[in-house]
Amino acid sequence: MAASFWDSTQRRHWLYTREELAAIRYKLEEEDPTSLTHTFPLPDLRHLNIYFNQQMQRLGKRLSVRQQALATAQVYIKRFWTRVEMRRTNPYLVMATAVYLACKMEECPHHIRIVAQEARLMWPGEVQAMDTSKLGECEFFLISEMQSQLIVHQPYRTLKALESDFSLSPDESMFAWNLINDHYQTDLPLLCPPHIIALTAVMLALVLRPAPGERPSSSSINTSSLAAAAATVQQAQARAAALSASSSSSTGLGSIPGTHGLTPQSSLLSESSSEGKKVPDAARLSKVQFFAAWLAESTIDIEAMVDCTQELISFYEAWDNYNEKFTKESISRYIKARGLV
Amino acid sequence: MNRIRQSRAEVSQQPRSYPTDRGIGPIGYQSKVRVIDKYKVVGFISSGTYGRVYKALGRQGQTGEFAIKKFKPDKEGEQVTYTGISQSAIREMALCSELNHHNVIKLIEIILEDKCIFMVFEYAEHDLLQIIHHHTQQPRHPIPPSTIKSIMFQLLNGCQYLHTNWVLHRDLKPANIMVTSGGEVKIGDLGLARLFNKPLHSLFSGDKVVVTIWYRAPELLLGSRHYTPAIDMWAVGCIFAELLSLRPIFKGEEAKMDSKKTVPFQRNQMQKIVDIMGLPTKERWPLLPHMPEFSHLSSLNAPLSHGHHYHHQGQRQVGGSHLEKWYYNTIGQNAGGSGAASGAAALASLGAEGYKLLAGLLEYDPEKRLTAAAALQHPFFNTGDKVSANCFEGLKMEYPHRRVSQDDNDIRTSSLPGTKRSGLPDDSIVRPNKRVKEG
Repeated sequence: MAASFWDSTQRRHWLYTREELAAIRYKLEEEDPTSLTHTFPLPDLRHLNIYFNQQMQRLGKRLSVRQQALATAQVYIKRFWTRVEMRRTNPYLVMATAVYLACKMEECPHHIRIVAQEARLMWPGEVQAMDTSKLGECEFFLISEMQSQLIVHQPYRTLKALESDFSLSPDESMFAWNLINDHYQTDLPLLCPPHIIALTAVMLALVLRPAPGERPSSSSINTSSLAAAAATVQQAQARAAALSASSSSSTGLGSIPGTHGLTPQSSLLSESSSEGKKVPDAARLSKVQFFAAWLAESTIDIEAMVDCTQELISFYEAWDNYNEKFTKESISRYIKARGLV
Repeated sequence: MNRIRQSRAEVSQQPRSYPTDRGIGPIGYQSKVRVIDKYKVVGFISSGTYGRVYKALGRQGQTGEFAIKKFKPDKEGEQVTYTGISQSAIREMALCSELNHHNVIKLIEIILEDKCIFMVFEYAEHDLLQIIHHHTQQPRHPIPPSTIKSIMFQLLNGCQYLHTNWVLHRDLKPANIMVTSGGEVKIGDLGLARLFNKPLHSLFSGDKVVVTIWYRAPELLLGSRHYTPAIDMWAVGCIFAELLSLRPIFKGEEAKMDSKKTVPFQRNQMQKIVDIMGLPTKERWPLLPHMPEFSHLSSLNAPLSHGHHYHHQGQRQVGGSHLEKWYYNTIGQNAGGSGAASGAAALASLGAEGYKLLAGLLEYDPEKRLTAAAALQHPFFNTGDKVSANCFEGLKMEYPHRRVSQDDNDIRTSSLPGTKRSGLPDDSIVRPNKRVKEG
């Protein structure tokens, strides 16, 4: 339900395995009777997502939409395009509609006329017929395909709740926050529960020791960061195994024994310092250890966190070869050919 | 070059060549499901500012009966263009899609068709307004205590579910509490409901008026901007009182918004509360002086202090509550003005615990007011008869069925006579009391 992710429609209907998601998309492409999908190949989905994210951020800025609503809008378009092949839609219209709908859902509504007007100004060549009626019609389409399941659980709330528990510094918090912002450009919102994403972001922020103001990128989130993260996770797992072996009674989240049992000689330390950054101070190390200990005593799906890290790494890699012009043109080609403009 | 040829070919073969294309773009949105193909409308139930509700049966083998709520389009008559769905409809659709509890009305599906929204719910044969009304018919006779107890327990159970899921109902009143023919209580009409866990804007902004005035909590009347589940709990207290006495306990008159769209102080309603509950004091409600409309309180009349002998336990305060007196009068001589003694003492079995529960729900200070969870633990439910999950258990009579009219069975075309189009599409709608006439 609205508060419990476990009972939510998000968990029950909108989370997939990678294989399921691939199968859904394959089926959508194959279903197209005109084989349009083959006529108009699209770039890497990650590149499309980067482009859509940028466009929605721009629209959001013009309308002063809060990040939370934009995040929800991004989940909406992802869900929608698991039900309708993207090339049967005008993505600009879908994006504008998703923003309009998400704003209502996240309690920061904008008038439909204003959204249509801003979208028209932003994308004059792509959506000539963008008016209230068009947007309203697309809203019906979106809601119908999403089966009115419009409440989206976001990782931001988990992050906020855990920030102080894990003593994140402002830089670490900001880094984790940006990671969460970026994950909307991946398939992760359709693959992972929000708390896994939040915890992965916390873990990476703790392990990678971001410089003040540093944003996540392929230079910080890469295979060596995966190694560091994996080490954290290993620690956690080893600890969990030790705990169950000694059959010590589970203490629950409230009474974590802190750094007890973890030594500064852990693999984590060597991984981190091998990156050539400054040697972590004791405080930071204990923060990481605390996090590992917390993970070990939780029932968090640690494998999912590893997958999530992997997905983020491949996203930042893909970002490096992103070409906006090419991406934009490949969309324009099909919307013009299909008369969706 | 190749590409150009191909795309030409696409263009020429494209229009209307996709039977499954309900796409945006050249071809308009069409629902996958058509409401009249799937449901057979058997009658019209009621209408309000939100739209109309119809009773329906399934055409495709669905079991049971259904209530289909058709949202009022923004414009009267034939809807020519899409205008965007109101925020309150979006909220209701989204919330109802998530909710799943046996004491909250169940959403079956939502059909978006022909620019209209149809929400299909499970059907409930009765509602509390109707049940209360039945008991006011001559000879006026109280609702059996076991029924009241069961209704209250189920109502609180539904509230607890909503509140633990961060949903505020905000419009609890007898007409919105459904009861199935099996005696299951279902909280209905979440048209004003909202999530209160992550309000980006204050929950106050946007909605000027919430909760039908008779059930409106004192903190709202005093201008509070902090919406909490306690608002629903006050309404539950009012409903409890109404189940006992068969009339609204605080039946005030609503002061209308003036031309400047400022919300007036609801003096009359507040006075009705004060008449029974006494004036609130800052000793019992520490944040009282911080209420925006606090200054108005001094202009209200303290209740006449004719209740001395009911305060025999000492500690009589100035402007003290007459609720205890009200309660014992009600359960003792419920037959009211009819003079018939038949109903007298019929409710006596609800006893002192009934009063304590009522007083806990009608507590002035929202922070001290019983929560749904606490109310469910109240000794009221553990004393006397065991609470039944069927509020009609043991009754020898059957309540009259919901009236459905045959005047307007066309769910697709009917316009909505008598409903004005509001100036603003959304939250500023003031809901009139939905009172369905019977008999």
